[in-house]
Amino acid sequence: MLRRAIRSLPLYAILTPSLILLAIFNVAPFVLAFAASFFDFEIGGDSRFVGLANYVEYLTNDPTLLPSFENLLFLTFFACLFVTVCPLVVAKMIFSLKSERARYIYRLMFLLPVVVPGIAGTMIWGGLILGDSGLVNETLRLLGMEGRGWLSDPQTVLWALALIGFPFAGGINVLIYYAGLTSIPDTVHDAASMDGAVGLRKFLRIDVPLVMSQVKLLLILTIIGNVQGFEGLFVLTRGGPGFKSMVPGLWMYFNAFSFQRMGYASAIGVVLFLLILGLTVLNMRLIRSSEDLQAATI
Amino acid sequence: MKLSTLTLPVVFALAAWALWPRPSGGAAEVAPSSNPANVKYVIRVAPGFYMPDRRPMDVGKPLQGLNEVAADFEKLYPDTRIEFVDVPSVREWVVTQLAAGTAPDIMNINVEDVWQDVQKGWYVPLDSFLEQSNPFVPKGSPGSRQWWDMFKYQAISRGKAAPDGKMYCLTLDMIETGIFYNKSLFAKFGVSPPKDWVDFLRIQQIFKDAGYTPMLVDSGAIADWGMDLLFDQLYDQLLPGIDLSKDPKREQYLQGYLDWDEICYLHGKGYFTKDDARYLETFRIMKDWRRFMPLNLSSVDLTKEFINQRGPMWWSSSLSVYKLARDPDMAFPWGVFYLPAIPKSYSKYANGHPMCVIGGSATQLELSNSAIQDTHDVRTSERLKRCVAFLQFLCLPKNTDRVVNEWVALLPNIKGVPVQPELQPFDTILKRQYGTTKWMFTFDLRFDDVYQRMLELYLNGGVSLSEFVGWMQRDIDSGCSTVVRRKHLDLSKFDPVWRSLAPERARMEDLPHAP
Repeated sequence: MLRRAIRSLPLYAILTPSLILLAIFNVAPFVLAFAASFFDFEIGGDSRFVGLANYVEYLTNDPTLLPSFENLLFLTFFACLFVTVCPLVVAKMIFSLKSERARYIYRLMFLLPVVVPGIAGTMIWGGLILGDSGLVNETLRLLGMEGRGWLSDPQTVLWALALIGFPFAGGINVLIYYAGLTSIPDTVHDAASMDGAVGLRKFLRIDVPLVMSQVKLLLILTIIGNVQGFEGLFVLTRGGPGFKSMVPGLWMYFNAFSFQRMGYASAIGVVLFLLILGLTVLNMRLIRSSEDLQAATI
Repeated sequence: MKLSTLTLPVVFALAAWALWPRPSGGAAEVAPSSNPANVKYVIRVAPGFYMPDRRPMDVGKPLQGLNEVAADFEKLYPDTRIEFVDVPSVREWVVTQLAAGTAPDIMNINVEDVWQDVQKGWYVPLDSFLEQSNPFVPKGSPGSRQWWDMFKYQAISRGKAAPDGKMYCLTLDMIETGIFYNKSLFAKFGVSPPKDWVDFLRIQQIFKDAGYTPMLVDSGAIADWGMDLLFDQLYDQLLPGIDLSKDPKREQYLQGYLDWDEICYLHGKGYFTKDDARYLETFRIMKDWRRFMPLNLSSVDLTKEFINQRGPMWWSSSLSVYKLARDPDMAFPWGVFYLPAIPKSYSKYANGHPMCVIGGSATQLELSNSAIQDTHDVRTSERLKRCVAFLQFLCLPKNTDRVVNEWVALLPNIKGVPVQPELQPFDTILKRQYGTTKWMFTFDLRFDDVYQRMLELYLNGGVSLSEFVGWMQRDIDSGCSTVVRRKHLDLSKFDPVWRSLAPERARMEDLPHAP
């Protein structure tokens, strides 16, 4: 036992710096934020212990709570829908090409937009596409219809935000699905063909179940990204008009750095952490990966 | 190695060489005059608009004025080096830097933001320095008796004193807003700058009917400038009955300005609530104006829309003069007018008095807690002396001229420094009466945020007027309780004044029924 431990020492030595950095930059802030959520304090100002008051205020008395979670649900639902369907269809189409060179070129083409910073893409959508004189409004005017303030109109703002990124075939997601499709053994395809499964039926019955690991991964990443991320909303609408496009993460940011309510913001952060944790566990439990499916059939 | 494998790197290298930025021909290099070995104090200055070596709005030559002033200053103070830093102008950044004690020594921040945090000891009051002579000024010139005397716009400059009575900022220049208008389009449609608000709306309707966006403005400007102008139009006449604080130091300049404690007290008496007819009227007027504004109120490039002639009028600040005067796509003559008064025929609470000043101090230089980091004591800090000396040196007319007039955007606030001809209309506007209050600078940022987003929702038809005012009522309640708690305010001090002004209020119509 001791000899084994001694033999492992170099490995622990290699791991230690990473663990220390992880503890300093990931674990400690989380613990501090959790502790801060029980205090009322502003940066540079007074601080006082308030117990669960921040949580009580957020969960019972914050006017943004319900609308922001409704908006988050709406945006996350569509993001999950798009991330599940669109890149998979594109990956399948590329995978079905006969020429290896054509597959390579298409993969490259779908990957290239990744080099554009996400926030730049968002701003292009906000100004050039959804703006007053943007592509959408000018097209409508060409057809004799009235333009709209897509990002200012309370009735359209959420739909406009949900549809940003159309046609949702972002490079990395396509590649992840493509990798999943290439890992399906040829024997499975051959057996399916012999059983008469072709076209859409083969796609739905064979390909989709066997890329469920990728679906699961992308769903988890999308949910986490949507719950935590708010930079696009910050740039385009700042959660407005009113709270029509507010999400909890953005409200947390405003409370922390604009309103200087660090304790309150920490409480929102803890609530979001619990939400992400719950959703991830749910996802792991409910969605069966290809490995689970294979294990179940053995 | 094959030729083809070499080709790509060579092409990239050549392209990089071709695209590499060259030093601008017009920019004079200013060599540091101080010997690094002798430098004892490095003063960090975040100058905002005048950041040296930067092209304002990506137009024209890089600025050099401050570099030259700093070089001259360093010759006088060989133990000091001035270092200019470009910092984000967002409050989030400033607050974290000040809390950590790492903010620049001299910073340009809106002083109303400073007021929010003065109780934390983050800023150094300037009163004692401003009340003494400026040592760089020759005897007999403005500033030789009191530094204060050097400033041209006295009312606005002195009006920047914080509600705690102290002055934390030095106003180097002025900014003002105005309606930029397309003279060609005005001539084409046979209209001229409006006489009053009714005429203003009529002109906008003409342009709307012709398919233009008549008034290019965003929600931020409406919430900030628009609110304060309309508020002044409807409440100015009430001041004899509701101006509760007559601060001897500020009153002579601000002429009845309502501070946050007065706003809180009045709110407690029913003002700025659903029972306040003028408050409702303010937002009704705003909503009526909304139909002439862009569809998207917060994400439209208004400069582009104006230059591309999609909108004949653009509400912007004097900063835009620089861009418009130099934009290569500018294809029409333009002018500037100010928003016209609201006549009684349009609103029963207006009396047609001219719209007030909405702009004011532009570059507002404050000394942060970093300026006293050597001794942490204002009385003994040598570093602070250097910082103050640099500000005093900057205020010399020839230095302010070199800095402020290097680009045509802001109006110098130092006597003897000329205003550039393109900015004359704004100089005229600045002579108007000061506003009744500045709502966006009254309470904390939470108030501003909720107010701004709910106003945008209201203007876009997302909530009714009564729902919106309900939101505002709760927002002001929350803003008041925060400011009272943070500043330890005692509003009961206004009770005697409130009672003494009752006869004045008795002569006024449609006031909230105050207890």
